[in-house]
Amino acid sequence: MTTTDMPGTPESLEPLVPGPVDLAGYRLGVPQQAGALTMIPITGPAYPGIVPPRSGLKLTQVAGYGRVELRNGSPDGVAIVPLHIGYIQDAAQNHALCRSAFLAPGAAVMFEDACCVQESQGGYLTGRDQWFFVLPVELRARALELRGVHGYSKLWNDIGELNARYGLPRRGHLEQVLSRKRAVLTQFQSRLEPQPGQLGALFFIGGRFAGLELAPDPVYFAEVWMALVCFAYGAAAWHAEPPPAGAGGPGGSGAVPYEAADLASLRAELARDRAARAAEIAGWVAAVPAGDARLREEERYLGLRLSTVTGAELAGQIVTDGDRPVYASLFARAIA
Amino acid sequence: MDTPTLLAHLETHAGALALPRGGTLCWDDADFHRAAYTDDPEGYALLGLAPGVLPWQRARVLLQLLAASQAGLDDATRGTLARVARVLTLALPPAAVITVMLGLRRLRANHKHTTRAALRFVLEHPEADLLIAARRPALVDCFEHALGKATARGCARRIDDGDTGSDYLRRRLLRFLTAPQVAMPRVRALYGTDDQAERGAPAVVLPYEPVLALDPARERSPVVTATNRGDIAATLVHLHRGGPADDLHAALGRYVAAATAALPRFDGTVAVVLDASASMRGYGDREWAVLSQAAALRMVLSRICTRLQVVEVGGGERAPAGATDLATGVLDALTAAPDLVAVISDGYENLFPGDLARVVATLPRAGVTTPVVFCHAQFTGADDLTLRRPAPALPQRGFWHQDDFTELLPWMFGHCAAGAPWLRAAMHTRLDTLDRQAAQMGGVAA
Repeated sequence: MTTTDMPGTPESLEPLVPGPVDLAGYRLGVPQQAGALTMIPITGPAYPGIVPPRSGLKLTQVAGYGRVELRNGSPDGVAIVPLHIGYIQDAAQNHALCRSAFLAPGAAVMFEDACCVQESQGGYLTGRDQWFFVLPVELRARALELRGVHGYSKLWNDIGELNARYGLPRRGHLEQVLSRKRAVLTQFQSRLEPQPGQLGALFFIGGRFAGLELAPDPVYFAEVWMALVCFAYGAAAWHAEPPPAGAGGPGGSGAVPYEAADLASLRAELARDRAARAAEIAGWVAAVPAGDARLREEERYLGLRLSTVTGAELAGQIVTDGDRPVYASLFARAIA
Repeated sequence: MDTPTLLAHLETHAGALALPRGGTLCWDDADFHRAAYTDDPEGYALLGLAPGVLPWQRARVLLQLLAASQAGLDDATRGTLARVARVLTLALPPAAVITVMLGLRRLRANHKHTTRAALRFVLEHPEADLLIAARRPALVDCFEHALGKATARGCARRIDDGDTGSDYLRRRLLRFLTAPQVAMPRVRALYGTDDQAERGAPAVVLPYEPVLALDPARERSPVVTATNRGDIAATLVHLHRGGPADDLHAALGRYVAAATAALPRFDGTVAVVLDASASMRGYGDREWAVLSQAAALRMVLSRICTRLQVVEVGGGERAPAGATDLATGVLDALTAAPDLVAVISDGYENLFPGDLARVVATLPRAGVTTPVVFCHAQFTGADDLTLRRPAPALPQRGFWHQDDFTELLPWMFGHCAAGAPWLRAAMHTRLDTLDRQAAQMGGVAA
């Protein structure tokens, strides 16, 4: 099969990741697109021993509005809580976390600064039925600012604004997007497909940088994939989705044929066209506005450091072991 | 007329034939049917039996077969047309057949084969007694149109007088029938005066259901799972899940053999572009379901095609992974110069979206005339395909259950010239089966 290699190099990622981080060995793969969402796979060296979130992390209790306890069920590996993870369950208050964290093997941590994402729904989440999401990218910068702030309703206004932008009632119900639009959002899990060995991704929406996600290893990334592609970036991509291709659209019955007189030249035309589009996407990568991002250490676990990244145009959190990146979730502060 | 156009019309052009009182027959696509019949009478007739053809389109086929002259056709073709017409009179709702028969009267069609079909419907239908009781005036019209009013009434008079085999009766009526002893009391009933209304008996309701099932009813579980989609796919799902390989492989062989036993051989080359990307594997409760059904189709094709080339896209059938590059898959498939390219995919094209459509649009100017069809792998028939049509210009058809192959295969092979013999052979086999079923019905002789 002929594919177009993304002209990606380790250096391609470096402007995005502030601090003395060694990205040797990381490589960008062939971009995939679904509607307005472009995903560039990242492969690289795995960092073993980190407990993945779906099989390892358990929501053990919601002790009150805004207070959520997670437990690392593994006896022999540290867990890194994905940034802005949230849990939804029928007939209960849905919560999301404003920050990442380390959970030592077997340890439980009460997050006192969680935010409720469902304004008027009573009840508490229980430990069962734990599919999780990651906050939509439009809310992530604000949620990160609110880490450490106690107050379960602290994100309701922003959620209301987001709903209004999506043409939904202006209420602090994130469920309006995540659950009611779940059928269309979860299609992103199939519309974009992780590669074997993939442990990270760059996301662009409408050609503009939306996020960089890096996991310790492919298993961790596979477990957080749905939450990222469907909810963290899928919701914004759905909002920006161009109408399905009609007769004249790019995939429609009016698709413009290549200038090719035989199969060989058609194959060559296709390869040229793909190379041009890959180059365009490489241009998006090069144009990612890293700016003067600053790092602030938040937590330590043995040699691991969890830091918050704050820049003019991007923000997020990153886990490093010396100069080696272990986990990163960096996102654009503003989505067009 | 090409087969895909005809088949698509028969499967999608809805609407009843209408016969307004005193007006002309409303047959909106008469020219289409006439042209298809003229082009290939036997092929047209057989295609009317294809699975998935709409009932009112089958009624139109019956109308066309009985309205058209058979002058110039050889005996074998006439025989096939007669058998198709016979099957259709039994496999359509009786009300539709009566409309056809009355339509023939309006069209003044009175060929010998028309007469034979009408008389056998009126007098030898397994439910003829019920039909006569329910629609006697209409069936008298059909009977009198078939024989001519004077002859029909002459026959009825003679039968009423006890004639069972006079030369007059034989030459004018009995020679068209296969079971005269059954038919003659029904002629009496057509012209009898002791009808229901006069006796004060309740009105007889015309039966709605045909006596012969052309498309057997498909039983469906209300909940679709990964393993209630046909035997082949279910077995493959269990294999993927790590079930006992020896037992499952043995069963798989039996199931594929059973599914293909009645299918003719396709003496050509089919190139399958099999989407084996990550999305085809699915996840959660649906994991392996879609890929297994796609693999089931591949196995059936492998069994019936003389040459089958498979181009896997993404990963492999046993280890689906990665992105979906259908455009390159089609280009690779075409290198074998196949008679047909079949893309089997869930429709999520992401490397890059739109490429398949552009490549397909370019094929004619690149000198490629090989037909390309898109077989849409779905989890259920209700899947939302809005975002899953990578090349809307391609002929496409969905499938999610093994039973869907019954319609899918004729549709696929109908797109290529090499498929014409397959289609004809498959429909002949179907006709033979239906004929046998008809012959086993009470009151009917084949």
